[in-house]
Amino acid sequence: MSTEEKQEPEFIQFRYPRQVTYHHALGYQSKFANGLKQGRILATKCPVDGRCTIPPRIVCPFHHVRQTEWVDQGQRGRLISAFKINFPMFNSRTGELQNWENPIIAVELEGGARMDGWCAEMDPEKLKTGMLMEAVWRPEEERQGRADDILYWKPVEE
Amino acid sequence: MAERIAIVGVGQTHHKSKRPDVTTAELCAEAVERCLEDAGMQMKDIDHLVMGSFEVADGYYSPDKWIIPELGVVGKSGLEMQNVGTTGGVVAAASFNSAATGLFDAVLCLAWQKMDEAAGAFGRGGGGANEYWTGQFPMSPITNFARRTYAYMDRSGCTEEHIAIVRVKQDQCAMKNEYAQLRLGLTVEKVMQDVLLAWPIRRLHMCPTTAGAAACIVCPEEKAKKVTNKPVWVEDWLTCHQGGALTMAEDPTASTLRYACNVVYKRCGITNPLKEIQAWEVYEPASPAELRWIEEVGICEDYTAWKLFEQNKVGIDKEVPFNPSGGVTATNPIGATPVVRLVEAVLQVRGDAGEHQIQGKIERALATGYGGQGENVIMLLRKSL
Repeated sequence: MSTEEKQEPEFIQFRYPRQVTYHHALGYQSKFANGLKQGRILATKCPVDGRCTIPPRIVCPFHHVRQTEWVDQGQRGRLISAFKINFPMFNSRTGELQNWENPIIAVELEGGARMDGWCAEMDPEKLKTGMLMEAVWRPEEERQGRADDILYWKPVEE
Repeated sequence: MAERIAIVGVGQTHHKSKRPDVTTAELCAEAVERCLEDAGMQMKDIDHLVMGSFEVADGYYSPDKWIIPELGVVGKSGLEMQNVGTTGGVVAAASFNSAATGLFDAVLCLAWQKMDEAAGAFGRGGGGANEYWTGQFPMSPITNFARRTYAYMDRSGCTEEHIAIVRVKQDQCAMKNEYAQLRLGLTVEKVMQDVLLAWPIRRLHMCPTTAGAAACIVCPEEKAKKVTNKPVWVEDWLTCHQGGALTMAEDPTASTLRYACNVVYKRCGITNPLKEIQAWEVYEPASPAELRWIEEVGICEDYTAWKLFEQNKVGIDKEVPFNPSGGVTATNPIGATPVVRLVEAVLQVRGDAGEHQIQGKIERALATGYGGQGENVIMLLRKSL
């Protein structure tokens, strides 16, 4: 037998067992985060066309003018789109793969800004574009100034 | 005044789901070797290199450290870039910019991705793009296109069956492309019974994970004419990265493709895109994206592209010659994918695409790169000056 055996190509496995805590500055968007702690959804308003946007920005992305006015967007909005995930995906907060029972939706708020959120209605068949949705918040003492201070959006009967 | 520039050589690997036989650097060398051979050039002729991959999907930092020595280009001038799915697009655009300055004789454009090394983790999401704004959701291209397609179907009348027809057409093209990864012999029934990832997106609708690399060599006019008798001229190019702001706020189905194409069409005097551009390689990360992109490039009215598929008008040698290579749902080395589009468009213009060649004269071809929430890179090629 030859001393040089045939070499099969192979993968070498590596894991990255490190935990890193990042500290991201929120800058101008801190006002949005503080609003969430008070149960309010705040957006910046463009002085040129009045459009409100989330994420809030110092300048309007379309007109490149400074946005100093903040507008409370209210607690309700209309559903724009929805989808439900049917396979395990990573939970960014835990680093683990998990199943996701609730649909993710996009909502146009009363103030005109749009944002994404979880939906209380589990059956995506029951979700229709234009439906009125309302924010359901975490208890005040649990809020951290993050978008998931809004637990989910629930359909409102009209 | 910028130099007129041309692509004088192209190369790509045979794209596979797994390449345990090569390192990332060796994979790149494979594409570069084919590219140099195609151009009839040697590495000593190259005086600038622009390269990149989507690093998160590879698991390497500073890949130039590993790849430059493998290519034998130590000491040459170069840039490394990354920009998610549009990486290959910005790499190509930067190589065009570099060649157009006239500072270099020959610029090598190289992009790659070896997704077999990260176990497809990118598709399973995570909020990493911006933890504060997206961290609560398991976002990935799958969820992006589930959302887009829900809205598209809601507005257009397009059904799941139409989307399955799109996927079958993509597969029929890929079956004719020896470099494509997935060549499956699909039927509409098979697509509609496939695993549901996030309604209406099934596994077969999404781009696969691919190990592959692609390269091209770009020269200013004078050098290009010396190197080859069939240069493919880069008529115009544009990067458009205002995705989330410019489009999604207005329309959940839209990308920046329409805006970017309109800018390029205006600059090049194109008024009837379908008539004046004879081959299209447009980056569609999911099969339903091809519907919206056909509309955004100006081939048909908004929310009607599904009718073109219903009438069997899209494919090689059909009325709408869109993605003759099989496109991104067949092959997706993500960072390299826009350069694969570019390589395929060059082959179409030269008449060298083989079994998936569109018949008739290809005077113009349009290739794009797509990424994130709607960013696009436009690359418009032309046969004659």
